[in-house]
Amino acid sequence: MTRQRVVVVGAGMVGVRFAEELIKDDRDGRFEVVVLGEEEYEPYNRILLTELVAGRADLSGLSLLCPSGITLRRGAPVSAIDRDARTVTAGGETWPYDHLVLATGARARVPRVPGLDGPAVEGLPGGVFVLRSVDDARGITAAALNARRAVVIGGGPLGVEAACGMRLRGVDVDVVSFAGHLLDRDLDPEPGRLLADAVADLGIGFHGEAALASVGVDEHGHVDAVVLDDGRTLAADLLVLACGAVPETALAAAAGLETAHGIVVGDDLATTRDPRVHAIGDCAQTPSGTAGLVAPGWDQARSLARRLVDGVASEAVPVQLDGAAMRLKAAGVSLVAMGRKASNAGDARVLTLNDASARRYVEVVVEGDELVGMTCLGSADLAASLSVQFGRRGVLPLDPLALLAPTAGAAPASAGSPTTMPGSTTVCRCNGVTKRDLVHAWDCGATSLDALAADTRATTGCGGCRSLVCGIVDWLQASDPDDPGTEPTSHATSDAREPVVKGA
Amino acid sequence: MTVAETHCPYCALQCAMRLAPEASGRLAASPREFPTNGGGMCQKGWTSAELLDSPERITVPLRRDGGRFVEVGWDEALDEIAVRVRALQEAEGADAVAVFGGGGLTNEKAYALGKFTRTVLGTRYIDYNGRFCMSSAAAAGNRAFGLDRGLPFPLTDLGDAEAVLLLGSNIADTMPPAVQHLGGARDRGGLVVVDPRRSATAALCDDGAGIHLAPVPGTDLVLLLGLTHVVLAERLADVDYLAARTQGFEDVRRSVAAWWPERVASVTGIDEATLRRVARRLAAAAPHRGGRGAYVLTGRGAEQHRDGTDTVTAAINLALCLGLPGRDRSGYGCLTGQGNGQGGREHGQKSDQLPGYRMLADPAAREHVAGVWGVDPASLPEPGVPAVELLRRLGTPEGPKALFVHGSNLVVSAPDARAVTDRLRALDLLVVCDFVASETAALADFVLPTTQWAEEEGTMTSLEGRVIRRRAAVAAPAGVRSELEIMAALGARLGARVALPTDPREVFDELRRASAGGKADYAGISYDRLDAGEALYWPCPDDTHPGTPRMFTDSFATPDGRARMVAVTPVGPEDDVRDDAPVYLVTGRVLQHYQSGAQTRRVDRLNSSMPAAYVELHPYLAARLGIEGVESVRITSSRGSMVAQARISADIRPDTVFAPFHFSGLGRVNSVTNAATDPISGMPEFKVCAVVVEADDTGVIDTATAREVVA
Repeated sequence: MTRQRVVVVGAGMVGVRFAEELIKDDRDGRFEVVVLGEEEYEPYNRILLTELVAGRADLSGLSLLCPSGITLRRGAPVSAIDRDARTVTAGGETWPYDHLVLATGARARVPRVPGLDGPAVEGLPGGVFVLRSVDDARGITAAALNARRAVVIGGGPLGVEAACGMRLRGVDVDVVSFAGHLLDRDLDPEPGRLLADAVADLGIGFHGEAALASVGVDEHGHVDAVVLDDGRTLAADLLVLACGAVPETALAAAAGLETAHGIVVGDDLATTRDPRVHAIGDCAQTPSGTAGLVAPGWDQARSLARRLVDGVASEAVPVQLDGAAMRLKAAGVSLVAMGRKASNAGDARVLTLNDASARRYVEVVVEGDELVGMTCLGSADLAASLSVQFGRRGVLPLDPLALLAPTAGAAPASAGSPTTMPGSTTVCRCNGVTKRDLVHAWDCGATSLDALAADTRATTGCGGCRSLVCGIVDWLQASDPDDPGTEPTSHATSDAREPVVKGA
Repeated sequence: MTVAETHCPYCALQCAMRLAPEASGRLAASPREFPTNGGGMCQKGWTSAELLDSPERITVPLRRDGGRFVEVGWDEALDEIAVRVRALQEAEGADAVAVFGGGGLTNEKAYALGKFTRTVLGTRYIDYNGRFCMSSAAAAGNRAFGLDRGLPFPLTDLGDAEAVLLLGSNIADTMPPAVQHLGGARDRGGLVVVDPRRSATAALCDDGAGIHLAPVPGTDLVLLLGLTHVVLAERLADVDYLAARTQGFEDVRRSVAAWWPERVASVTGIDEATLRRVARRLAAAAPHRGGRGAYVLTGRGAEQHRDGTDTVTAAINLALCLGLPGRDRSGYGCLTGQGNGQGGREHGQKSDQLPGYRMLADPAAREHVAGVWGVDPASLPEPGVPAVELLRRLGTPEGPKALFVHGSNLVVSAPDARAVTDRLRALDLLVVCDFVASETAALADFVLPTTQWAEEEGTMTSLEGRVIRRRAAVAAPAGVRSELEIMAALGARLGARVALPTDPREVFDELRRASAGGKADYAGISYDRLDAGEALYWPCPDDTHPGTPRMFTDSFATPDGRARMVAVTPVGPEDDVRDDAPVYLVTGRVLQHYQSGAQTRRVDRLNSSMPAAYVELHPYLAARLGIEGVESVRITSSRGSMVAQARISADIRPDTVFAPFHFSGLGRVNSVTNAATDPISGMPEFKVCAVVVEADDTGVIDTATAREVVA
């Protein structure tokens, strides 16, 4: 049997995941997989680049496991696709394909403003970085050693994470966004404002409704200032551009494939003009849009792998792009937002907990018996428990108020004192001995710890109830009417001790 | 009737007990001092002697006659069984007969059963209920360490540790006296319990004693990957240990790179701050960071999944990253469940294994064991299939037509139990050896009454790999035979060419020779040494060897002595929640009952305090379903349903229900569970499936599940 050659362009998180899924699904070994990566690094977790900036991850901790049984070429940028010959050219080598999968990702958007109007990304002034690759992250990390003031352009998740990361390294940071609040795509204004307060607590300034007008560059070609469109100038010796990404489509366009914002594909993830060529991840523009987050990219990878293995006869199921969660990874700030928010909740119920002084904001959007939206700032535990309820029908509390305080009213049972403890309370679990059993045994003459243990077997299992039984012994001694040394204790409010007729 | 120093008949803790006659003349059990139980014993042990003279005891062989059983003589029963076995095997070959063993059998019986199967019956079809409880941990242990001993250290070592991570184990209910060994970790605030319920064990974390994590059912593997991610990202790993004592770390590091804390939180429901706190707590206790020591322990909750072997592997990987296995007051261990779950899996009941933990497919192993048995190695059958697959084949055109069951109550304890019952009914011949009329015995063509623990000599291997003596205190009722005698008698009728001794000591001495040189080497362990009070842990290769309480201190049992780290990927439940089955079902044990309950449901004190199954559910779920008080609920999966009383409790996740698995009839939760299996170990996914929960208005609660009287 001739194996079909699948060539993947791009060794990022989605391209590698696709290769992994294909190898896993391909039980008969029908496919041969080649992955061509542009960077020299082995495949790594791009999501954690801001953790690298923050010093919370090592470079070695980013490397991903590459599926065995595939061919991976690093440092092999693809220069051309020949769709007639069904080959791609990379670094002087030519790779024939039966199926081509484009996972070229996206590149950082660089605003064309004075100071940044050089020919390409390589031409950025000293101290100016985008944050898409390991090299970018290493550059920022090195620059942060000497930098005093950093500016981040862009108030999205990447910008906020980068700002928090640099702040953790002791650099003063300002974040600039054209939007009025941070994370404007994910958050309504109020939680966005609270988030700004939370990062301000860390020492990060926020400048909203401001755009980058120009970048000042000193005589050494190094950034020294950032000028905003409202005329303000911010001192900066480190500038990080986190103002969006542009799908990487140049290769596809040169090969004559249809491109718009991204590489245009159908719900089957095949390009419109060539069914042998597919696109997944940030570079792909499906009928529902572009992914932008890793989770839907992974879903596309899985979907395409299964489709190639099962054959293309099945109906294409569109990969959902909405509902993916935004989870901020920033030291000192916890934020998760997913699904709908108050401003687009429609008829759904919206419950909000706004605890501004604690920088805490929790919002849940409930439709019927389903959690369809959540925003959780400053409450990591709630964020985690709500995350796993999202989109699951039938198990939400009837009153969504409980979602905001799930453990309220579930006070842990307390053993209480021997006096107030109900008689039915199990004292010794191992042997199923209740307080009433102990009292009864006492009244029948077992008036010591050892005698009670012999009679009832309390304390003879794990021994964990020993102190409790000792307490009950003390209480019984103190309240025993036969003991002349002490006054009887009243048990009127407790069923603890039933009337006993001696000898009965 | 004599006073006997023996051990409890139930779980793998094997609490030491003394059996002595009371004034009334009945035998009574009381605990005695022993390291594992520290002088303690739970209700099950205290009441264990009640079953010896129970009126429900079977003392005469029974033969099915139409819809009822009739009493028959031993010779008649054995003659007819032998004739029918021969006829089936002559018509369809040796594999027409299968054997199902149990983790409660003594080492001697487990060994003899494997020998009987492979020499007298000559079938490849043998497996046992340990497949349901130990196999994933065993597979992972073998893969990582080259050897599987549940605890490769004495249980009492736990007491000195600073931290213990306990995944999916509720020892406060399943083996209560073992709780005392968590005292050290609790005193130091280092107990971490992972369980979707706030079980009695999870509650031990209260008041600063530790941390209870209640992740989404089926996500333990993700949680472990996340903990390992944090350990590596925060540079808490023992890099010297990893370099010197492991291989494969690089792959593991890469595999956990994809499981950063925020992603783990979105799958498990455990937030990243808590995840980091737990990872740091464990690391602080690890020897390389100056801690007193830490343990990672798994139980069935983590193991009974279709990726159970990989889940245990992830637990081992975490332990290796922290440099724990083979170090003082540190390590990885699996808490064995059944009384002889450890020994039962070492001596030939597993479909692919021979005594001494030898592999049936290994020519050298076949030659050695065949030599001890005095048969041609080529006459030994090839490896068979694991339990779930074996059960699926019963009574099918290509599968076995007869089954011998020893020490197991499949009808209650197997997953997807309705399907299993159908398979048992499809057999031409079902022979069940038991001392009570279990639900499985009720389906049998023949029930052969056996001795009980206090009526026989033998050995058990406890959860810590220590071989202990079981001693007779009382004569068995007239008419009852031990399994050794039954196999010998059947063997004689089936033309056995091997010796089938009936004296346990003689069988054990043969087991010693058969295991000699194997991984689980018992050669140096003898009744005399045990009776003289020696504490002997295997491997113990000769009469002067002191045994091996602590393993892996210098090297692991792999060819190069290094532990194997294997990168693993979560698969998740086969039967996952969805709109039309939105609730997770998890199962487990209660303190009063053991396994299928065939024994404990027949003890009055236990039965009166826990007479029937129940379903634990959260008040939020109860409110959504309109269940307000104690009433019956029905839980249904695509396989079947159960009905039991509701117990509303905030101690369980709102998206999860729990039911104990000891009960039969309507309260049988294994009608609902999934028989999907782990591809490596063959262990079924008991611990998670998707169900519908609803109030049950049929008004039928099965309170009569405890006793099904036959005859």
